[in-house]
Amino acid sequence: MKIIVAIKQVPERDAQIRIDAAGKWIEESGLQYALNESDAYALEEALQLKEKHGGEVVVLTAGPERVGPTIREALAKGADRAIHIDCADLGSRDALGVARLLAAAVNPENPDLILTGLQSDDLGQGQTGVILAELLGLPHSSLILHVEKTETGFTVKRELEEGWFQSIELPTPAVLTIQSGGNKLRYATLMGIKRAKTKEVRTVTASDLTVDAAPVVVLERVALPQKQKSTQMLPGTPKEAAAALVEKLKFEARVL
Amino acid sequence: MLPLTATMAEPQHFSLVEKLLLVLLVAASAAGFWLRFRVVLGKILQSKPDASFRLFPIGRRILDFLWEVVLQAKVIRQRPLPGLAHALVFWGFCAFVLVTLNHFASGLGLGFLSPAGRFGRFYFDCAAVFALACAVGILGLFIRRFLIRPKWLGEKLSYQSGFIAFLIFLLMVTYLAAFFFTDSDPATRILWWVHTLALLTFLPIIPHTKHLHLVLSPATVFLSRGGFSQIPPLAGDEDFGLIAGTDLTRLVSLQAFSCVECGRCTEHCPTANTGKLLNPKEIILGLRGYLNDLGPASEEPLLGKYNPQEAPFQCTTCGACEFQCPVGIEHLPILIGLRRGAVNTGAWEDDYGAKLFLSLERGSNAHGLPASERDKFIEKAALPIFDGTQEYCLWLGCMGGYDPKGREIIADFARVMNYLGTTFGVLRKEKCCGDPVRRLGNDLVFQQLAESNLEALTQTKTRKIVSICPHCVRTIQEDWKEYGAPPTIEHHSEFLARFADKLPKQSRGNKPKSLAANSRTRDPREAGANLPPLSEPLPQPPLSIGSDETIVYHDPCYLGRYRNVYKKPRAVIALTGQLIEAPRNHERSFCCGAGGGLVFLGEETGERIGQVRAAELVSTGATTIGTACPFCNSIFRDALAEKGEAAPQLLDIAQLTARGLPQIKA
Repeated sequence: MKIIVAIKQVPERDAQIRIDAAGKWIEESGLQYALNESDAYALEEALQLKEKHGGEVVVLTAGPERVGPTIREALAKGADRAIHIDCADLGSRDALGVARLLAAAVNPENPDLILTGLQSDDLGQGQTGVILAELLGLPHSSLILHVEKTETGFTVKRELEEGWFQSIELPTPAVLTIQSGGNKLRYATLMGIKRAKTKEVRTVTASDLTVDAAPVVVLERVALPQKQKSTQMLPGTPKEAAAALVEKLKFEARVL
Repeated sequence: MLPLTATMAEPQHFSLVEKLLLVLLVAASAAGFWLRFRVVLGKILQSKPDASFRLFPIGRRILDFLWEVVLQAKVIRQRPLPGLAHALVFWGFCAFVLVTLNHFASGLGLGFLSPAGRFGRFYFDCAAVFALACAVGILGLFIRRFLIRPKWLGEKLSYQSGFIAFLIFLLMVTYLAAFFFTDSDPATRILWWVHTLALLTFLPIIPHTKHLHLVLSPATVFLSRGGFSQIPPLAGDEDFGLIAGTDLTRLVSLQAFSCVECGRCTEHCPTANTGKLLNPKEIILGLRGYLNDLGPASEEPLLGKYNPQEAPFQCTTCGACEFQCPVGIEHLPILIGLRRGAVNTGAWEDDYGAKLFLSLERGSNAHGLPASERDKFIEKAALPIFDGTQEYCLWLGCMGGYDPKGREIIADFARVMNYLGTTFGVLRKEKCCGDPVRRLGNDLVFQQLAESNLEALTQTKTRKIVSICPHCVRTIQEDWKEYGAPPTIEHHSEFLARFADKLPKQSRGNKPKSLAANSRTRDPREAGANLPPLSEPLPQPPLSIGSDETIVYHDPCYLGRYRNVYKKPRAVIALTGQLIEAPRNHERSFCCGAGGGLVFLGEETGERIGQVRAAELVSTGATTIGTACPFCNSIFRDALAEKGEAAPQLLDIAQLTARGLPQIKA
């Protein structure tokens, strides 16, 4: 079974975010990057499927040169080879543009299964995976926690609201976007990193793939969330304070 | 009654038959020794060379050798009576080298020391004194092993050891007895031959018993890596730690064969003493068993048959074993080496361990909390940011930056630094120093953390660091060296002790009404951190918190055994109350159970180490437990919670010091 896992490099979880001078994107200098969280779960699901059924896990990512360490990390955890779409202008492409790049790279591979994370930790649109499926003309399902291989395709466990789950059957090939938390992630090891050095990383440039780069969705402005926590102490006896609280909840907060 | 002649008698003539017999017996004994010893030596030399081994500087090696081998100081210091008995036997053996050489030479008519000659007589008389001491010593050791039977020597009685003790005793008695006879007495000849046979029987027993330490341990002590828990850098692309026989280095093999099975390591091990699988002595004997059965070229895993998989992961890395070992075995690099082998290859599967590693791969701290939590604390505690102009970089660490109690310690220590007028700042961004991953054997994450922190410190031009955590201090100062040159770092106990004469003495006079009642004028020097250094000591506040307060101090492993700092935290505590000692203190301090990354792993098997130690500290009747490590503090906090109201107070030395400072009005 050949599985392609599309991953994205995002600013690390603890990064201190600043807005760039144009106000259109975050200031990228000085940031440290890491593998997108739900992509890590997609990779883990792929590795577990490979361990059970054999085959090959190929990681695919689009991004500038700095994605190198993230590719190495995925190879270190057990992916067999990688395809890097070298693309310095990833930030100016919308989800459709990125999906077009990914689809162009996936096509010649003829995989049995394509996994991506549910959404990216930076933009959080949750679009790229499903658009990729549409572009490839493949069935897809999102919010997947677990994948089981069957004779003809896959049975997947899909997360719904309020603790409900859905079980879905899909044929091969299919695209699944993976929800965080379905598996326990493995830790990267020194041996894995050293072995990863000899694994193949094929780099193609975005221009080689000749896809339409013009975005249909343009990011107007990004801003940091406003800090608006304010605390008021209500004086008086508990009875008076409670009365004042009800008053405020009714007329100021309008929640009662 | 036989007359004591003060001259040793020896037979004057040996017949040709006797000489031939002697030569044959010596040859047989020597062959018996060599054939067995050759195998051991071969296994040591066939082991992988130690890539990082340097013979120089040799001065430290010579000093260690003199102290530990020649003077037997470590053996005596840690177990005075048996240690002295052992030293007497050892010194007796040393004195006997010349005696023995002359003994065999004289049997062939080539004796070079005449018992009647000036030097000979002097030497033999001296040797007699040593022989007497040695006989007493070996008798003492015999009584200990077979009558007192300390459990550390193992449950099974070693008859081999009994036989060896008998031979040594016989050697000394036959030597001493010769002083009561004349040369021509037939008894002299019998004594001579009995002495000879005892020696020649002894020799071939050495290589396959623990008495091999006679031959190996002087070399083991001399060649040891030195320092404490020196973890050798991995050598080359195929070295992931201790996985199979092929990973055992010459030093490890030498140490495994040197073990004298005295059990000091196990006696002091917090893990072995609380009903867990790990037993440091068995780890070493397991390696020796592996080497004996499979040899250093084997690809069989070291863990499994010869040592249980999980045993190395129960180690708190407190280092009591390595500290106690009298024959130079360095347990920590071995235990951590076994962990490295399992973790660096991904063979170790542990939910808590994996979670910790992932937290540190992706985030900044061992608790797995977002770094913004640290930022919030810095803001709330109004800690200045280090910008290269201040004297000290105050290293928060995972405990100081994220743990509620650790934050209290930091806040109080910052107050003390402000009071003293020391300028300091905290790093805007700081990652875990890597202590838990270093001790758990995750070289990949450790390297990432060390390099990232070193870069941050270089960028901020940090020259001096002070930390409240002995684990950070050790890791930054020693372990980071593999990846760069860390700035000078000291523990806050060392910092505080240096300012002891400027810190308030919390006199044992009147009991204070309450802390909050102590409102006094605000000292201008407390307003901010960027204050000029003190030109003169501030007036001592007439505070008297320490009235009839007794404080029991718990030595943290990483401050005591690892860093050899014992007096300074005590000096700081003595300023704040009446210091009392714990049952096990100084270099014998009993671990709290947190070290070696264990505080981040799951529940212990057997008794909780922290509870055992907390009970010991409570048993002193002290009103306060004084700590100098946020991990110890955290563990005791949990252990004392069970006691509720009756529990003694638990305070770090920074907190003990800070409460004596003039109070600031809220």
